[in-house]
Amino acid sequence: MSIPTLPDAFVEKHAAKGWPVGLAGVALVIIGTFMSWSFDPNILGDLSVYGYPGGLQILAIILSLLALVLLLTVKGPLASRLGQWLDAALGLRALGLWLLIYMVGVILAIATDSSGLVNVDPGGWISFVGAVLVFAGSQVIPLRELRDLGRARLPGWFEIAAVAVVMAGVLFGAAYALAREDAWSFVLVLVFAGGTVAAMFRTGTMGWFGHVATRRRKVLTLAAFAVAFFFPFTQQGSDANMSIATSVLIFAATAIGLNIVVGLAGLLDLGYIAFLGAGAYVASSLSRSAFATIDWHPPFLVIVLLGGCVSATLGLIIGTPTLRVSGDYLAIVTLGFGEIFRFSMFNLDGNNGPNLTNGPNGIPGIPELAVGGFNFGDEHVVAGITLGRFSNYYFLLLLLMAFVILVFTRLNNSRIGRGWVAIREDEKAAEAMGVNVFGLKLLAFAVGAFLAGLAGTIKAHQDGATSPDQYIFLESAFLLAAIVLGGMGTIAGVLLGATILKLLPEKLRFFSEYRLLLFGLTLVLMMRFRPEGLVANKRRLLEFHEEDEKLATAVESELVEEAK
Amino acid sequence: MDQFFQQLVNGLTLGSLYALIAVGYTVVYGIVQLINFAHGEVFMIGAFGALSTYLLFFDGQTGVWILPIMIVGAIIASVVTAVAMERVAYRPLRNAPRLAPLITAIGISVFLQELVRVFYDRIPFADFPSAKQRIPFPQLDGVSGKAVEVGDVTIQRSAIFTVAALVVCAILLWYFINRTKLGRGMLAVSQDPDTARLMGINVDRIIVVAFALGAVLAAVAGVSQGLQNNNIDFKMGFIAGLKAFTAAVLGGIGNIQGAVFGGLVLGVVESMATQYVPGQFGGGTWKDVWAFVLLILVLVFRPQGLLGARVVDRA
Repeated sequence: MSIPTLPDAFVEKHAAKGWPVGLAGVALVIIGTFMSWSFDPNILGDLSVYGYPGGLQILAIILSLLALVLLLTVKGPLASRLGQWLDAALGLRALGLWLLIYMVGVILAIATDSSGLVNVDPGGWISFVGAVLVFAGSQVIPLRELRDLGRARLPGWFEIAAVAVVMAGVLFGAAYALAREDAWSFVLVLVFAGGTVAAMFRTGTMGWFGHVATRRRKVLTLAAFAVAFFFPFTQQGSDANMSIATSVLIFAATAIGLNIVVGLAGLLDLGYIAFLGAGAYVASSLSRSAFATIDWHPPFLVIVLLGGCVSATLGLIIGTPTLRVSGDYLAIVTLGFGEIFRFSMFNLDGNNGPNLTNGPNGIPGIPELAVGGFNFGDEHVVAGITLGRFSNYYFLLLLLMAFVILVFTRLNNSRIGRGWVAIREDEKAAEAMGVNVFGLKLLAFAVGAFLAGLAGTIKAHQDGATSPDQYIFLESAFLLAAIVLGGMGTIAGVLLGATILKLLPEKLRFFSEYRLLLFGLTLVLMMRFRPEGLVANKRRLLEFHEEDEKLATAVESELVEEAK
Repeated sequence: MDQFFQQLVNGLTLGSLYALIAVGYTVVYGIVQLINFAHGEVFMIGAFGALSTYLLFFDGQTGVWILPIMIVGAIIASVVTAVAMERVAYRPLRNAPRLAPLITAIGISVFLQELVRVFYDRIPFADFPSAKQRIPFPQLDGVSGKAVEVGDVTIQRSAIFTVAALVVCAILLWYFINRTKLGRGMLAVSQDPDTARLMGINVDRIIVVAFALGAVLAAVAGVSQGLQNNNIDFKMGFIAGLKAFTAAVLGGIGNIQGAVFGGLVLGVVESMATQYVPGQFGGGTWKDVWAFVLLILVLVFRPQGLLGARVVDRA
């Protein structure tokens, strides 16, 4: 995506003014934050205090301080040390834009939540003018040629510390954002996060962090899991956010399973939700619910494996047509299977076939999981912090997630994974090279389905009820969207996509009416402007931009470096 | 035996509806090799276009002369939707990898359904009911009301309209494709787009015409569906579209006669399955399952369809 810029002649003429204007803008924003923004103290937390900044004002200060650092990198004390590495001008432009969006958002929020613009206090206007100045100033600061930040070599401890800081920032940011109760505050925190990330991208810091992440993958993975592990402890026993978090994890685990089929092997599956459903139905029919249809109650570990295996068997059945059909036709076949699964679950109620699923009513009243005397419904107090029912499931799902990610990465980096990629790129060539095409395709379906089945067995207990309308086509589309949005064939992308798709609707209740509308629109726009997803897999990136020679050389050199 | 004829009539009615929609899939596929997944939504919007025309100009009247005007309203709504969809979403993706248009189509489909669901009652200067529930479709003299009895077989008047509409549309379609310049241009492009372009055919325009042509028939189908079911809703396009796609594949996608034939076969098979599949797996509740089973079997064992497709190795 390119952001429109001013004509070169204009920039040259006013280049000298950019720096002082930007500096003045930063000063104004900070001064504004020490004054009242809103006349009404009930909007966006309390922003009506003079003398010291609070809540969302602090985020504005952080953004403007970042802008200050970049300004000082352009000209000032930091120029000699950071100037040749950081792309400060581009970073400033991004920051200026996002700061402006942030202030416009604040003013809009105050105006719409109260009786109009009169309720915006002078402080708000001063900060707004400051944001405008930063934006205007950054537009005329000239761009420069820079050294590639990826080649910067810093001490090892610094890189590890950077990973830790970023991860801690993610944890803190997530906890802070989730603690915002009203939708406007949440949106503004998102704008803040967007601004920080955009600035990191534009200055090249993100690129550098990407290199560090590839070099120190183990540290990053460990840190990510530590962050995920500590997340429930930031919630003070609140179940609302934990229930969102567990549904994100179930969704993400399923989406990673689908990512094996779609992202790695390139087989489009539009009925994938059926596998999650199969796992859930296995777990619920074997549970001790009064409506369960099978009178056999094995231990949960057996149920999990059974759920996975039933799903994998279904996966094999759905996979067999791949011998003969591929591409669009395969997508339709899988869609057909998905619908057949839903109709069957709907119909098997005893009147239209054997009673297996209790028909449209589904199986309600599934009891809490109990593994070896540990009941997942109980609350526990660890280090003074209450961990409720959802936290228990959260930890179990985290374990599942670790397993799913392990399977995904190990397969991806093995002969099997290479085979899948080869099939995706060119099936005939792969077959000529001796890749067992049919076997690998079946394996992709079976493994993906197995992982979804595992997630399904836990989902049944976590939801407490299973019914056919949880497994409609739209859910499959959502799973696919998580992958497309995040980036095919990557784990970070799918996690991001799943979080966005599950978290935003929960937090932004006021637009729940428009949720699906925006979902459809996003799919169309993504395919049009960024088909490789938010976090792009390098090979995928090339596939979608075949003519881009520059990109090809860049990716090639990076892949070579990675291999070393 | 009379049950057989009754089911045959039901099947042909259902099949005519599928056939009308299926032509849209097949025409577009024949020319740009794209499964326009959102075609079911074009059909749904056609039905809503007809309803809107009725509510705006003729609310409360029942004369049969309103029907052609409603059809024109439906056609306008459908064609505008389909052409806009092609222009905004599909055209930029013409050389993208195969996955991209398919996902776009799913996006468009969800978007259009929600657009109707959320905004239908908020259209300014019109007092439309909310589309969140089913909306009753206007009943007109002559095409609805008392059914016709032929021996033991009951034929709904709307069914006669549907079959008649299919016959008329098929004749007009045949004439358009084989006897007009634009139609022959379509044939040329579907055989070889590059050569067609060298011969001076505006391929972009032909593609738009293909989308519009499919939309016209889908609009007629939308009106038929409204008359048959007495009501319409924003979800009606999904299953109908899927069935119609099945019909298109059954007849051989890319082949227009095939789409009509496939639609009729699918309709009859579905009706017969309701009647003749024995035991608990028969009856109305399983008929959709049998339709999808048929779809999968055809895709796996005879992907070129019953009549053979113009483009065989497409998948």
